[in-house]
Amino acid sequence: MESIDKMSRIDVIVSFIRYEMKRAIAKRKVLALLAFTILLDTFPYYALSTATNGTGFIPLAAYPYIWVAGVFGLQPLFLNFTAILIAAGAMSEEYEQGTAELLLSKPVRRNDYFAGKFLGGFILFLIILAFNILLSVGSAFTFFGPQASLEILPGLFIVQAFSSLIFYSLAFMLGELVRRSSLAYIFSSAVFFASFIISGYLGLIFSLTGREFYRTVQIYLPTSPANSLPVQYASPLLPQTVGIVLRFVGADNTIVPTIELSVAILLAYTLVAIGVAAGYFWYADISRRMG
Amino acid sequence: MSNPSSQGPSILQFQNTVKDYGSKKIGPVDLSIGKGEIVGFLGPNGSGKTTCIRLMLGLIRPSSGNVRVNGYDPISKHVEALNHVAYSPELPNIQTFLTPTELLTLVLHELEFKGDKQDEIRRVLELVGLIEYRDTKVGKLSKGMVQRLSVAQALIGSPELLVLDEPMLGLDPAGSAHFREVFREFAMGGKGTVFMSSHMMNEVESLCTSVLIIHSGRILFRGSSSDVIRKVLDYSVVTVEAQGLPQETINSIKGMPNVSQVTINSQTIEIIIKGHDDIRPALSDLIVKSGARLYTIKTADNMLERAYIEALKKNGVDR
Repeated sequence: MESIDKMSRIDVIVSFIRYEMKRAIAKRKVLALLAFTILLDTFPYYALSTATNGTGFIPLAAYPYIWVAGVFGLQPLFLNFTAILIAAGAMSEEYEQGTAELLLSKPVRRNDYFAGKFLGGFILFLIILAFNILLSVGSAFTFFGPQASLEILPGLFIVQAFSSLIFYSLAFMLGELVRRSSLAYIFSSAVFFASFIISGYLGLIFSLTGREFYRTVQIYLPTSPANSLPVQYASPLLPQTVGIVLRFVGADNTIVPTIELSVAILLAYTLVAIGVAAGYFWYADISRRMG
Repeated sequence: MSNPSSQGPSILQFQNTVKDYGSKKIGPVDLSIGKGEIVGFLGPNGSGKTTCIRLMLGLIRPSSGNVRVNGYDPISKHVEALNHVAYSPELPNIQTFLTPTELLTLVLHELEFKGDKQDEIRRVLELVGLIEYRDTKVGKLSKGMVQRLSVAQALIGSPELLVLDEPMLGLDPAGSAHFREVFREFAMGGKGTVFMSSHMMNEVESLCTSVLIIHSGRILFRGSSSDVIRKVLDYSVVTVEAQGLPQETINSIKGMPNVSQVTINSQTIEIIIKGHDDIRPALSDLIVKSGARLYTIKTADNMLERAYIEALKKNGVDR
């Protein structure tokens, strides 16, 4: 009897996952993101191939690893920003349109709705992430010939997904707290860009003064583990030649010293954000239509 | 003046329930709805109707007091409380990218419906007259059709309590008449309960077995339409449609006991009577004996509306 109940609950969550994916796709921003991914994963490879053609700009030895340019180059900005765009509207848009009221007036557990919304958006993000990786590899193959070390891609996919979870969760939380999609996008983007910019300044101050305090603060900013972890995971698995490509796309510098610390910081931010969002969603009234 | 009691076992209860929004406070509400009732929930805009509905659906928390639906707290025992409770909101906000079939499939998943989903979807879409539009995106449906879909998603499954917020809004007269029948059939034999918020007094008067008038979250009156009319109004109105009525008969009508005013408009005469004595038998005798042709003689259609307005006036609401 209990297992039937569990199956029913899973069925409810799966239906909310499907619903959220469909909803996000219908908003068309996902289609825009996919179009943008295609542009970012094809044109730079083409441009790079014409620029490097016979110039020695990128050594021939690095050609089989040129796929890392697309996979790592997009993580710091595009992937995190994609996560924000999908997550910030997941809860807030339902309040704005008044559709949350209809869905939650049924005998469903709020936890199931919350889980379905969170997972639905994240699965959509994973699809874009997989598309990004496949397109990068495809473009690299097309313009630079056969690619190597592709066996690390499944692991890298998981690591990038985990790294992006931090901004996905923060944006999801802010969407639930402010319940206005435009504000949620603005606040989430502000956190992201502020972290990005402040991290750069702190790194500069640290290199000038050598004071550990600045380095420590920089390490704990949310962008630091999000951008460090994929490189920390992949670097030992790739030959040194790849360093040139990583340097080229600005992904060669890991701010967080260890992979364990990156995972710990990412987990802490993610769990706190999910906890705050879930707690607020459980306690707060379901808003009527806004906007 | 309020009468929070109801007939039969209670399906819905408000006990000293207050919702404090900070700038506005609704309540304390004391209310009990019995199984099988069709309750019309009346009140001016901002009187607390929607707040009460949202409280019973567990969408908002009471600031104090409690709400019980099927004996359960709709917040902490949401699933148990709302099992067999269905809601059709005012101005339904339904995702425009869904088709009626997709929306109803989602709702059936939410309800953990065990039967044949396609059969059930077909049944309710036929019931509300939307079967031809089952695969049309909601964004392409008219306002009336979206209202029908809202009622369909409430009727799907096996609800026992229908909570309807302005269910006739946007419907054409035929649609309203059809839905009245659907709701009446739903409640027939005491198997279903309907709790309906509406500003359409005629709909309420013709459909509801019980009427609630609310203001600032306080229940001002409770009872059947005729009870509320008798309690609130100290007069009654009879309309007569007759042809060839001689002046002396009109004078005789004016001279009848308790008749305080007679207004003639073409073939229709409106007679205002002090109190609630039924003068229709004496009136019809008088008209028939005068040789005039009597077409209709009845209590005025808008008595509930008059009672409602009067009830609000008596409680300091002048609109």
